[in-house]
Amino acid sequence: MTSIYQINSATRIRFARRFLISLSRMRRASTLGPPSDEEIRTRTRRIRIVSYSSMAFAVGSSRAWSRALVLKIRNRARFRGILRNKCLASKKKRVIKRHKVSREMSKTDMLRRLVPGGAGMGICGLLEETAHYMTCLATQVKVMQSIADHYSK
Amino acid sequence: MNRALLPEMLHSTDMTVLERQRARFKWQQEQQQQQQQQSFFGDLSGVFQLQQQHQGFQGDLGEVVTRSVKPDPSLMDNGWSDLVGFGPCGYGNYNGSGFDVNCAISSTSSCPPAVVAPATNAKVLAEGREPVLSEKLNSGVARECLKKRKVDKVQNSTKVVAEDDSRGKRIKGCPEDGESKNTQKNNKSSSTSKNSNKENSAETSKDNSKVTEVQKPDYIHVRARRGQATDSHSLAERVRREKISERMKYLQDLVPGCNKITGKAGMLDEIINYVQSLQRQVEFLSMKLAAVNPRLDFNVDNLFAKEQAFPAWATNFPASGMSSDMTNRAYLQFNQVQQQQQQQLVTCCGLDVGINPPDMGLRRTISSPRSIPEMFLDSSCFTHIQPSSTWDADLQNLYNVAFEQGTIEASNLLKMEM
Repeated sequence: MTSIYQINSATRIRFARRFLISLSRMRRASTLGPPSDEEIRTRTRRIRIVSYSSMAFAVGSSRAWSRALVLKIRNRARFRGILRNKCLASKKKRVIKRHKVSREMSKTDMLRRLVPGGAGMGICGLLEETAHYMTCLATQVKVMQSIADHYSK
Repeated sequence: MNRALLPEMLHSTDMTVLERQRARFKWQQEQQQQQQQQSFFGDLSGVFQLQQQHQGFQGDLGEVVTRSVKPDPSLMDNGWSDLVGFGPCGYGNYNGSGFDVNCAISSTSSCPPAVVAPATNAKVLAEGREPVLSEKLNSGVARECLKKRKVDKVQNSTKVVAEDDSRGKRIKGCPEDGESKNTQKNNKSSSTSKNSNKENSAETSKDNSKVTEVQKPDYIHVRARRGQATDSHSLAERVRREKISERMKYLQDLVPGCNKITGKAGMLDEIINYVQSLQRQVEFLSMKLAAVNPRLDFNVDNLFAKEQAFPAWATNFPASGMSSDMTNRAYLQFNQVQQQQQQQLVTCCGLDVGINPPDMGLRRTISSPRSIPEMFLDSSCFTHIQPSSTWDADLQNLYNVAFEQGTIEASNLLKMEM
């Protein structure tokens, strides 16, 4: 069973490659010189999305969470424009929703929220996906750490 | 053989176990034929499809019909291996006395493995397993005479059972109409089918069942252990619980610092905390990367050079699998790139595992000069590679390469960076 959960070095390499490519693309687009706070924030968000997406693409469609993540990213890209228009209209609804009593969330619900694509799985599958997702996150962190270390020298 | 005959035969104490089983088997075949004519496959396939789509356990615990665990993909399935098998089999319409008879027979047949010839046993098993029913059908079945079987017998008969499975018709379940009949038939619930169940459960618990490897059965049978409830629901729940605990144990190994925590709730807490912390770390690192000023375009070119190198390197990286041919090719690819980039790529050679392409005379070492982004590859990706040789040798090699390419300035540049 452990073999299924282990991430190959190939996956790591794929992830690193995609991540680097997108990072370099971003750097090309960005302005030189010290970035402003706002710029940092937007860049942070973009880099985070890029890292998750490159991880998901590196893993491919072999796991449920990567499939769910890929779909989410694609949908987000597709509907970004539409959502912006709808954002203003839904503000009222958001205010109303706050008055709702928040439901007590069980631990499994929280885990479902954390792991992408966890909503549609049973506990057994959820635990499996969590294990793989955790290992992928760990490699993601390691790779990003080393890149950041390199760049900060 | 008629129904009337069989009880008599069974009750007669003269018969040996073998003969009894043979008689039972023949009788069963008859029953089965009748049964098959009435089975509505379509309903069942519908039920199965539903079950296929349904990925949760929650309500379906009684799901008796199980899917077998195939070696790799099965484990990734969402809850397919939630299994309970029942082997109700068409033993036939017996009255209550049949139970005891069966018990006796089963006890005699199951305990000494030598008594029952595997072949006949297997046949009976195969036939007995056929009407594997959905929960509705089996809820009323009383499971009696369950005894733990030895592992030898398990391994022995599973193979035979497996073969017979392929021949045996697998009725995936019986329609609701046949329910009454089946419950009656289940009275006889086969000791032998239970044997097969137990075998399979033992197998699955040990490693992925040989049965599944032999061919493609669709379910794994589970047998209740001694002293435990024999309900179909409880069996299914037990299997489910075992799977969950297995996964939790694996997660315990993954999450650092969870050795002392026992219990699902604590483990779940730790898991959630760990995943949240990892996500926070990703966020933090992305912020760090966003804040870092991009250096010169130099680096970007490095990155791109690296990108191009990747297709060659990516295949090279499983260290054991490398061949000098590939490294040569990779190196040749480098040659096609610009000089400056090539210099960077030369440093990439440091990632190589230490194969010496004879013609090139470049001794590729594992310790890379830390000037280029591949550094992160070193630390994160190739943890299995150990840093080696001396700095001087590296420098020497790099100078050689630089000289080969005719740009000494580049090598100076590298030297500076180091």
